[in-house]
Amino acid sequence: MYKASLQFGATTDNLPIIRHFVQAHLRPRIPNSVMLNQVTVAIEELCANSILHGNAEDPQKELRLELRLQGETLHIYLYDPAPPYDLHSYPSKPTLLRANTDRPGGFGIYLIRRIVDKIDIKRRRGGSSVYHMVKQLTHENSS
Amino acid sequence: MQVEVLPGSTDTQLKIALSGELDAITAPKLYENLNRLLQQHATVREVKIYCKGLTYISSAGAGILLMSIDNLTPKGISLELVDVQPEVYNILDLLGLTKLMPVSHV
Repeated sequence: MYKASLQFGATTDNLPIIRHFVQAHLRPRIPNSVMLNQVTVAIEELCANSILHGNAEDPQKELRLELRLQGETLHIYLYDPAPPYDLHSYPSKPTLLRANTDRPGGFGIYLIRRIVDKIDIKRRRGGSSVYHMVKQLTHENSS
Repeated sequence: MQVEVLPGSTDTQLKIALSGELDAITAPKLYENLNRLLQQHATVREVKIYCKGLTYISSAGAGILLMSIDNLTPKGISLELVDVQPEVYNILDLLGLTKLMPVSHV
């Protein structure tokens, strides 16, 4: 199993660092550039939500991103000190998204759902959260 | 992220080159730049954004494009993306933007 992790403060200044971390570790393992980009986007969207909404851009709050590649299955974990949010409260159809265009980035969760095969959240002791996304790398999800 | 007005723009057609990465940090800057350029070119009816140098877009960037469509369409101004890289096109397609505006890839 291949494993890599990155610890970062809850500030949007770290989004490019997160992207570069993901691409540096996964580029040799995901030769398809469209799929590599999809994975990068899904991870950045998840991290951006936690930075902006869960932790209110407090750089003192520390998050940890972990990538685990088991065969053709990529597991992505985000350890977040903030409580989990309800994924199901976000719009699930593209047509609904246009009603919310006054808030740029309001459809990140929709994009995550389109890209990854599975996402779940666990509340940890003390109120923190673990987000877990799974992406199968054996098929393309570019529809 | 960089925005540059291209030679060949006319009174009615504004050609812009967009390059770099469009994420939660840079997307608001694109919105400000677009609004400023449209104020400076008040007679424009067509905006073409050349995206060959745009290497990344997140939902925040796509949200700005969607906001721009919603703002420009009622004013009779069209927005088109040209020479979009395959990775960026794929994200726009997943979000449904390729059905809302003309988008051509390289």
